[in-house]
Amino acid sequence: MSALDELRQLRRGGVQVRKSDNRAAFWFLAPWFAGLLFITVGPVIASFALGFTKYNLIQPPKLIGFDNFARILSDSRLHNALRVTFTYVLVSVPLQLACALGVALLLNRGLRGLAFYRSAFYLPSLLGSSVAIAVLWTQVFGTDGLVNRLLGFFGVEGRGWISDPDTALSTLIVLNVWTFGSPMIIFLAGLRQIPEVYYEAAAIDGASWWDRFRRITLPLLSPILFFNLVLQIIHAFQSFTQAFVVSGGTGGPSDSTMFYTLYLYQQGFSRFDMGYASALAWFLLLIIAAFTAINFWAAKYWVFYDD
Amino acid sequence: MLRGVRRGTAWAVLLSLTASLLAACGSGSDAGGDLTTEKVTLRFTWWGADDRHKRTQQVIDMFQKKHPNITVKGEFKEWNGYWDSLATTMAANDAPDIMQMDELYIASYAERGALLDLNEAKKHLDTGNFDQKALATGAIAGKQYGLPVGLGMYSIMVNLDLLAKYDIPVPDDTKWSWDDLRKIGEQVSKAGGGQVFGVQSPGINDAAGLSIRARQQGKAMFDADAKVVLPPEIARDYWQYILDLAKSGIAAPPSVTIEKASAGLNQSATATGTAAFGLWWNTQLTALTAASGAKLKLLRLPGETQGAAPGAYYKPSMFWSVSARSKYPAEAAAFVSFLANDEEAAKVLLTERGVPANQKIREAIAGQLKDTDKAAKEYLDTVPVSDPPRITPNGASTLDTILKRHTEDVLFGRTTPDAAAASFIKEVQSEVDAAK
Repeated sequence: MSALDELRQLRRGGVQVRKSDNRAAFWFLAPWFAGLLFITVGPVIASFALGFTKYNLIQPPKLIGFDNFARILSDSRLHNALRVTFTYVLVSVPLQLACALGVALLLNRGLRGLAFYRSAFYLPSLLGSSVAIAVLWTQVFGTDGLVNRLLGFFGVEGRGWISDPDTALSTLIVLNVWTFGSPMIIFLAGLRQIPEVYYEAAAIDGASWWDRFRRITLPLLSPILFFNLVLQIIHAFQSFTQAFVVSGGTGGPSDSTMFYTLYLYQQGFSRFDMGYASALAWFLLLIIAAFTAINFWAAKYWVFYDD
Repeated sequence: MLRGVRRGTAWAVLLSLTASLLAACGSGSDAGGDLTTEKVTLRFTWWGADDRHKRTQQVIDMFQKKHPNITVKGEFKEWNGYWDSLATTMAANDAPDIMQMDELYIASYAERGALLDLNEAKKHLDTGNFDQKALATGAIAGKQYGLPVGLGMYSIMVNLDLLAKYDIPVPDDTKWSWDDLRKIGEQVSKAGGGQVFGVQSPGINDAAGLSIRARQQGKAMFDADAKVVLPPEIARDYWQYILDLAKSGIAAPPSVTIEKASAGLNQSATATGTAAFGLWWNTQLTALTAASGAKLKLLRLPGETQGAAPGAYYKPSMFWSVSARSKYPAEAAAFVSFLANDEEAAKVLLTERGVPANQKIREAIAGQLKDTDKAAKEYLDTVPVSDPPRITPNGASTLDTILKRHTEDVLFGRTTPDAAAASFIKEVQSEVDAAK
């Protein structure tokens, strides 16, 4: 009996659930539940309460009402951080998904050694948000780094890409685009689901590659694209490590890599203003929720479910 | 990553939580009590470069030999990571017992109740050989939150090898001005051909340079009530000077300057021999000589004789502080006492953390000093100073990063020196107000 059958039977009440099983299940769940309670739910609730206080991490919090939320409106450095974060999300996510889809299409053509390529392209995703890669990035885009050496071959004079506020954010966008592996894997799986007969029929009708892509692949892949889009946007809004390591925790130069989360972190742990940091965390939740809601609303117009 | 917290790990977490609860119920000591004979572990944290780590570990070993039941676990980081980590461990109630503390942060930690008043541990911590004025630099409202380790002074470090290579004479530092520094820097840059620059740009790693400029004109950054009293025109002139250095090629291009300055002492222009002059603390001479492999010399600050008063002062290079939540404050104080008063320990540490503030120790190590240490001590003994500025007030710990951001804005043309000055003063004031 498969798990699905078992579930159906459960729903019909056809299986007697023994009380001892229940108790065992509870004990097996308890550690996970404790983790959820103490590591996630507890802090989330606490941060909501702290949002209304002035809390310097050591002395007990003081209630100050809506001051922290009011400050969000007038904090010009925060507004800059929002600008940086939105630029990052709105530029890097579409580019990343385009790369992911492109490579997935290439890999979907029954290549020999597919498993190898798949792993190779996926690798950056595993490493992408790690400290090691961010450190590597500072080397690659440094004044004596790989990029400048390459440019040197062509006689172009390089610069400190990361230490120049005009280009620092771009290096982080490139880093995010480079980690297109996980959406790529999902695209690949999606491409496999598209029945071959559609393409055969289209080929017989003389449809070009582009027509086939536009009329068959894209519509049938749109649920997957939607899934990736929602996930990567949420993910990008929460980016922290890259900016923190690359800028040495400052968000510099000139606040050009000041991601929202990094600004939040600085408020909490450099300025010791955990109340404001908590308010910022909830504000970020609102922003992400709004983006996700818009995504779901817009999905009606372009996502096609073939069932 | 919550997803990664599998059951086994969750159990382990649960178990270790209970274990820590049990430990919390276990024995602790109070600051004035006797030293325990049980096995205890103290955590000791500091920032610094390689040279410091080696010396400090040696001293820890010596202490452990004397107190076999006390284990001291050293945790060291570079400057930036140090403060991030201290803030987080402090918030998690997991602060190290003994901390190397800086003038920039001591008020901020002390006024939030994180530091122990060392007077409570007098029984184990002898401060008799410290000058009262020096001790006062670590006291706030009569409570001794930090024991000054060493004294340092701001100086110009010059790379003699580079000057010799380009055949440029060493400037007479007894009466030179900021203009003279610019001029000789220009000569070096010209000779350096884009590889070596005259001056390592100031205004990136700390606010001391700006403070010096204000002091030379009889002004200061803060007044006694923690109000920002820096005249905007001084800040403006300071940034104009830095901008001119960059624009005229006397300092490296902004992006290079910022990259090097953010990468720590060993990557700095002075350490890599890519700038002839740099603003540094005199006590960094030994570390920078080791890092650069060049012959470096300490020069007096420019502009000391043209202004109202010398800008130079004795800065407590750092303090030893004990966490207010340490379970073993008496043992921690005993360790601090060993660091501050033990002659054998002093002979290892020498002047790496500054010329010792403990006068007896200063004499005891005089014979042991290397040439660079001797030069640092001599600089301290001979260069004229004025009274030290007020301690950085609570809330202004971010002073250096605020300054750095404004310098970047100026260097990359995102703001004018004038606007930067106004914005800097406003922001620092609002930080101090917010911490009240």
